[in-house]
Amino acid sequence: MKIGFIGLGIMGRPMALNLIKGGHQVTVWARRAESMQPLLAAGARAAVSPADAAAGNELVISMVADAPDVAEVMRGVASGAEPGLVAVDMSTIAPAAARRIGEELAAAGVDFVDAPVSGGEVGAIAGTLSIMAGGSAAAFARAHPAFACMGKNIVHVGASGAGQVAKAANQIVTGMGVLAVAEAFAFANKNGVDAGKVREALLGGFAYSRILENHGQRMLDRNFKPGFKSWMHEKDLNIVMQTAHELGLCLPGSAATAQMFNAMVGSGLGEEDSIAVLKLLEKLSGQA
Amino acid sequence: MKVGFIGLGVMGRPMALHLHRAGHDLHVWARRSASVAGLPATICATPSELGRCCEVVFTVITSSADVEAVALGADGLSEGMAPGSVLVDCSTIAPDVARHIAAQLGEKGIAMLDAPVSGGAQGAIDATLAIMVGGEADVVDRLRPLLACLGQRIVHIGPNGAGQVAKACNQMIMVAAIQAAAEAMRLAAAAGVDCAKVKEALAGGSAASRVLDVMGERMVRRDFAAGIEARLHHKDFGLVRAAARQCGMPVPLAAVVDQQLNVLMAQGWGADDTASLLRVLELL
Repeated sequence: MKIGFIGLGIMGRPMALNLIKGGHQVTVWARRAESMQPLLAAGARAAVSPADAAAGNELVISMVADAPDVAEVMRGVASGAEPGLVAVDMSTIAPAAARRIGEELAAAGVDFVDAPVSGGEVGAIAGTLSIMAGGSAAAFARAHPAFACMGKNIVHVGASGAGQVAKAANQIVTGMGVLAVAEAFAFANKNGVDAGKVREALLGGFAYSRILENHGQRMLDRNFKPGFKSWMHEKDLNIVMQTAHELGLCLPGSAATAQMFNAMVGSGLGEEDSIAVLKLLEKLSGQA
Repeated sequence: MKVGFIGLGVMGRPMALHLHRAGHDLHVWARRSASVAGLPATICATPSELGRCCEVVFTVITSSADVEAVALGADGLSEGMAPGSVLVDCSTIAPDVARHIAAQLGEKGIAMLDAPVSGGAQGAIDATLAIMVGGEADVVDRLRPLLACLGQRIVHIGPNGAGQVAKACNQMIMVAAIQAAAEAMRLAAAAGVDCAKVKEALAGGSAASRVLDVMGERMVRRDFAAGIEARLHHKDFGLVRAAARQCGMPVPLAAVVDQQLNVLMAQGWGADDTASLLRVLELL
């Protein structure tokens, strides 16, 4: 398939590489020209603009930072689109923003799928991302061959925006999950009990989770390298809280968690992995 | 002085009337013509027309986007206001939007003050509002006599946006206090104690506060008709959350209160008084 790919950061670069490995003809565009080099070396063609990345392609994919960036590149995509183009945004943005962008693209005759991912840089490189998609069944089906090169657990969640709703729900669970494990470890430590042994014991019971296993181990190793940067988790939790505000939805746990991540960004932990919330708990409880 | 007024709701209407009573020549514009009915004022067709004939323009509007549209949009104030004239925005909006509007107007030589108020409908009627002002000191000094028609405590906080920061702080304290009063009233009732007596006792001690007086009284009487509609406090808590996040500053209590306000909205009590936070607790 002929695919345009926009946004070649930590996530976008390995995702585009996996499309090339999957035998697709890929055109790339990134704001910084040097980010395109590794892809061009792997056989991609360089586009000069988002419109150019869309031109002549059946599918165009964006993986950028935030809703205004998505809106901007998709306006370019719409101007370069040929009939039948499917546009896919895999960034994490607010569901309402995704729906708006979908409507704008529909007006330009472009089908839109919001398809945010979970699984981090490791999943992007391995091609094992979870992909949660929102949009029409027909557009999802057309994008599926590309999804299959980048991810494993690929779910069509529902109509436009539904992918972002699922991603926001994912960030609720992972945000509170990381905080829960960090609190359990801080609790063990302050009680003079070995947190490693606590983790080992808990892994066999109902408290088992992938976060307890993976993030928990990294907390014990005090390995705070990202992973998933805490400022990005804060951004995603803000999407959750903003959406809850608009809907009149009570999310007390998410609200408390969002404030902890807010404090992490404010106290200089934003570039560290979200498990650094353990450090914040230790500081607050005089354990640091 | 020729004074313009936009936003003639529960707050704006009595404020505009005070300016008229002080002898100013009042000009008004409203999206819905019903809002300006019966006012002793010249009615203008657009904000820009109102801006053209006024030296000072007041706005009291609900949202950041609406203030921005009235100030900077098509047929907006900036198209009409002359260099040297002043926009006084008494709305509660985001500090960064206030700064943006001030900067845009500044390019045309139009001054702006962000001057949000506290004191509610009664304060507006009695002209006893607290006014927290952001902007240039000389503009604040020049307009102090006008502001004095509306309120008693007029504090120049700092440059543009500073007034809105102060207002966000005000809302955090006030709504958290309403939540505290609601929890106290709920606890008293749940323990089988007369909450009117509890409130009466508390009013003489360290827990005494204006919120306990006014909102606590409404809770005791179960009178949930608005003073200030709760949806406005809900809106303001969105501003608080955004401002706190921009500073990387945690606001754990405000976050909890915000969720209670979300429940209040979900129950359809947005047009009622924020004393309805008591009813939120009664759901649990």
